[in-house]
Amino acid sequence: MRLFGIETEYGITRDDVPDMDPVVESMELVRAHLAASFERRWDYAGEDPHEDARGFRVSGLQQDREEDEFAQRDAHRPFSFHEMKSDLVLPNGARFYNDHTHPEYSTPECRTLRDLVAHDRAGERIMHRAAQRRNKALGGTPVRLYKNNTDFHGHSYGCHDNYLVARAVPFSALVAGLVPFLVSRQVVAGAGKVGTEAQESRYVPGPYQISQRADFMETELGVDTMHNRPILNTRDEPHADRQRYRRLHLIIGDANMCEYATALKVGTTQLVLDLIARGSVPDLELEHPVAAVKQISRDSDLQTVVRRHNGRTIAAVDIQIQYYEAATRMFSGSDGESDWVLKEWGETLQLLTHNRQQLVGKLDWVTKQWLLETFLREERLEWDDPWLASLDLEYHNIDPEMGLYMGLEAERKAWRLTSAEMIEEAIRNGPADTRGGLRGLCVQRFPEEIQSIQWEQVRFNGGLRSRTLDMCDLFDPQEVMRCAGLFKEAQSPVDALTAWTSRKDKEI
Amino acid sequence: MTYSLIPERREGPTDPMPKSPSPLDEGGGPRRPETGSPDKDSLLKRMRRVDPKQAERYRQRTGE
Repeated sequence: MRLFGIETEYGITRDDVPDMDPVVESMELVRAHLAASFERRWDYAGEDPHEDARGFRVSGLQQDREEDEFAQRDAHRPFSFHEMKSDLVLPNGARFYNDHTHPEYSTPECRTLRDLVAHDRAGERIMHRAAQRRNKALGGTPVRLYKNNTDFHGHSYGCHDNYLVARAVPFSALVAGLVPFLVSRQVVAGAGKVGTEAQESRYVPGPYQISQRADFMETELGVDTMHNRPILNTRDEPHADRQRYRRLHLIIGDANMCEYATALKVGTTQLVLDLIARGSVPDLELEHPVAAVKQISRDSDLQTVVRRHNGRTIAAVDIQIQYYEAATRMFSGSDGESDWVLKEWGETLQLLTHNRQQLVGKLDWVTKQWLLETFLREERLEWDDPWLASLDLEYHNIDPEMGLYMGLEAERKAWRLTSAEMIEEAIRNGPADTRGGLRGLCVQRFPEEIQSIQWEQVRFNGGLRSRTLDMCDLFDPQEVMRCAGLFKEAQSPVDALTAWTSRKDKEI
Repeated sequence: MTYSLIPERREGPTDPMPKSPSPLDEGGGPRRPETGSPDKDSLLKRMRRVDPKQAERYRQRTGE
């Protein structure tokens, strides 16, 4: 069973307010969306970032102290906690809210890459439309939104890809199988960055690197996400039946503008997870994975080799080739989507070393490098010119009139998996075959009856007692569609739940 | 070793990813970009409009 989703924290700024308050701006941006949508309080009971997949619970996160300090400052604001979070669940099953002072869009859960890319792009449009409404209220166009991962001053924010994984797969197997893959995945999925920095350290302008997030990776494994960031996050927050499932929560990835890069990032990761589940993953243990992430990122010529645990060395593209070959042996011909990923993955790895220009419009780091090198030549600049960092930032501006990637797309130089119609459909509806679509359907049909909502359940008002749609183990697409059919036709959520319970009782 | 897996999806995928990019594809299909150089009349103009100080002013709080 494949199920994945992407959560993206956007950068936000206002041109007309140099010392803007990010709490207020993120909150106001999300609330600007309310004109055409539905608001319901998110149920935070299902969230606990202190549970560790290695089998223990941490007493505190490194970010707790900073969060407490922010909370103390925020306590003086004239807003409640819920107002500041402004947690919205949209009619497409997505979550749109203010997370750590960044407007965040979490796609609904998807089963296909095509759906996922459409919903990721839908998130961009929803963000941009909210900014347009906010700007209309402010006058002018002062609010800008960036789908990137750094402010070039040592502050990073994330784009996390998430996967449903069987609990039966030991976490140690995930670590062994995934770490070398994730260290090298940036050659396909990196977004590119001018200069170097580190967590809350000075930005050093200069040479171009492959990944935005590499500078912020500080440890191999860990439950933290805001400090001491790990290559493999161990947060154990399944948002599903804990006995049967994990949610693999990857925080190492860059936010991608290129649809092709998004599809390959998630598609290849899913295939590697399938390899791990079958015990067929190559053994490529690295001696210093954290150092390797940075070494690989800082060599856009892809010549750097990193040391393996067995003493040999290997280049990032060769790590990827080993995973690609293992996946091809195991999954070639198994289904259309896997075949697509295998074909494009193989071609991309070839082109990276032989004809990289062909990847412009497909991979972000290659595309951005091509744009910037052209500009350097035209303007006779050096890589440490501050203009380059600004151009890097503007590559990620999601305003179609301003963003550099958006301009490239308008010139038809970007490779597309979606159409305008597909994105509009993703704004309106979630995937019909996942609980994300079902969640969105509940929001569309019974907004007034919803008492609280979260990833794995929707609680409805039900007279004297509330009634709950439990989606902890609702992943079979046929079952999802049966349940959705009941919610489409019922006069009330209680009717739908009664019919759904009765149907399940009969099956037992 | 094969770990006991989440059950496989029952039906085959009905909407596989596109197989071969074609520059003529419109709408939902993939389009291979023209990769000569950025259009000097529009994209480079857009790049020149970017304020060189934009990144210097840009400040965010740490996120996840």
